[in-house]
Amino acid sequence: MKKNILYAVLLLLVVFAVPQILSDFGTNLTTEIFIMAMFAMSLGLIMGYAGLDSLGHAAFFGIGAYSVALIGKFVTNTYLIIIIAVAIAGLIAFITGAVFIRTSKFYFLMITLAFSQLIFTLLWQMKDLTGGADGMSVSAIMNLGFGDIFDPQTMYYVMGIIFVAVFILLRLFVESPAGKITKGVMENEGRMAALGYDVRVYKLLAFTLSGALAGFAGSLYSFYNVFVSPELSAWLFSGQVMIMVIVGGVGTLLGPAIGAGVFIFLQNFISTYTERWPLILGAILIFLVLIGKGGIIQWLKLGVTMIFKSRPKNNKVSSTIQPEKEEIIS
Amino acid sequence: MDIILVQLITGIAYGMLYFMIAAGLTIILGVMNVVNLSHGALFMLGSYLAFTFINNGINFWFALLLSAISVGIFGIILEKVLIKRVYGKVLEQVLLTFGLMLVIADSVKWIWGTEMQTIPAPAMLDMSIPIGDMAFPVFRLFVVFVGCLLAVLLWYLEAKTRIGAIIRAGVDDRAMVGSLGINVGAVFTGVFIFGAALAGLSGVLGGPLLGMYTGMDSEILVTSLIVVVIGGLGSWKGSFIGALIIGVLEIFGKVWFPSLSMLIVFLIMMVILIIRPQGLFGREVA
Repeated sequence: MKKNILYAVLLLLVVFAVPQILSDFGTNLTTEIFIMAMFAMSLGLIMGYAGLDSLGHAAFFGIGAYSVALIGKFVTNTYLIIIIAVAIAGLIAFITGAVFIRTSKFYFLMITLAFSQLIFTLLWQMKDLTGGADGMSVSAIMNLGFGDIFDPQTMYYVMGIIFVAVFILLRLFVESPAGKITKGVMENEGRMAALGYDVRVYKLLAFTLSGALAGFAGSLYSFYNVFVSPELSAWLFSGQVMIMVIVGGVGTLLGPAIGAGVFIFLQNFISTYTERWPLILGAILIFLVLIGKGGIIQWLKLGVTMIFKSRPKNNKVSSTIQPEKEEIIS
Repeated sequence: MDIILVQLITGIAYGMLYFMIAAGLTIILGVMNVVNLSHGALFMLGSYLAFTFINNGINFWFALLLSAISVGIFGIILEKVLIKRVYGKVLEQVLLTFGLMLVIADSVKWIWGTEMQTIPAPAMLDMSIPIGDMAFPVFRLFVVFVGCLLAVLLWYLEAKTRIGAIIRAGVDDRAMVGSLGINVGAVFTGVFIFGAALAGLSGVLGGPLLGMYTGMDSEILVTSLIVVVIGGLGSWKGSFIGALIIGVLEIFGKVWFPSLSMLIVFLIMMVILIIRPQGLFGREVA
């Protein structure tokens, strides 16, 4: 519990420090990073704590975003809009998850990918409802009870605080008995089943929560970007968020958030110089796999331990990282 | 009636094309346990290479061969330099092959531009035959023929040759095959080259059928992944059936329910998975 308060305080400090250091453009970009960080954490939750590697998580992000765009036409209460959007995303995650989690690892990757592409195609083809390839603008304006939120500054703080809240809630879930059982299922499904747990229930719980959270991030994105397009559900975007998670560090909560930050920053930075961002991103990914030392979080841990314990304990450090990769292998 | 027959044959032609792509994907998956997300990009590369060859005056058949060989050689490099490092590591595979896909697809976009292109069907097959009062392009029948030829070839290789026996054994128990003194590494390289060349080949055949455009790589990848999922992991027979189902459904779906064709395909996949989580021809594997 103490640790959670410490995390909350530290992260809030970061949230309030950023506008002092960065320009308006940088602050606005950080708002996007907060939203993507929540999205990445939702995927990080199932990848790192339930062993479900989804290549289609953008489906839920897109569902959340489009729900806001569509419901916002009829409903004005921001809370209500977001609750409905999250409920829709969560429900779809529950239904699809019930089928998806029955399958093995490779299948899960491929089916989720196909699902993401399905939502993309539906958004693309249902022109009358969604505007098709042109996307649609979002008419709903965020109002959390203290006036309409227009200016980027306020938007930034709102998203920042929501991000911290989501992070703490996820930590609470991960540390709760249900979260621990879910992790146990990931590490040794047979043993947990033998102990009398219904392993599917916990996998499905994690998947549903994660889908709802992805939908939540999508709904916030809708308010932030005031425009949605089918690409939000494309499997390429799903692939990108998986990159955020892996690059940040699988098996942690903060890792995916950091990964999202690095990704969004690089994307914007490189895109200002060249059109060839996909090419460069691809090259970076190949390079990362070739040096293969886990995610950024693992590098940080490695760095910290190397600085504080500069005796030949390095071997031990890498062996504490290795098991996590070992699990991935099996 | 004629129109339904035409649609059916067109669907089968599309299905055979998907089969050619999915066969490579599923064999790589079954033998090497690698999800090759760059498979669609190899298909795309094959298309565009043939496009350039043909524009430089090389005839269609030679271009077909050249493209398949070029993509196959490219496959050797990929396998030897990159993919062999990530055997057994699923997340690394996803990261690596996703990166490869981005690099290949973006390079293609860079070199050939974003304009929609198409490969003309070879003169020999560039005609139509009448089906009832409809004209049906012969090239589609040719694609069906090649697909069937590939199925026969795969059946022969699998059932009658030593290579096939090794590969079947490799799908069942890789460690055992290795300890029997068979060079598993070489088998893997061979399988990957075969899969890549097949992707290149189907890319050329897909040119006149589907056209070439930005984003075709991920479209074809998703379709062939669905085919692999329906058919069962590592089973080319499953892919054959799966590809036929998807091809025919897609064409009928596009004609009768244009906005829901993808949804129908997806629902079929869900139903099959609910009944048989391991796919039509897949075996129970952990």
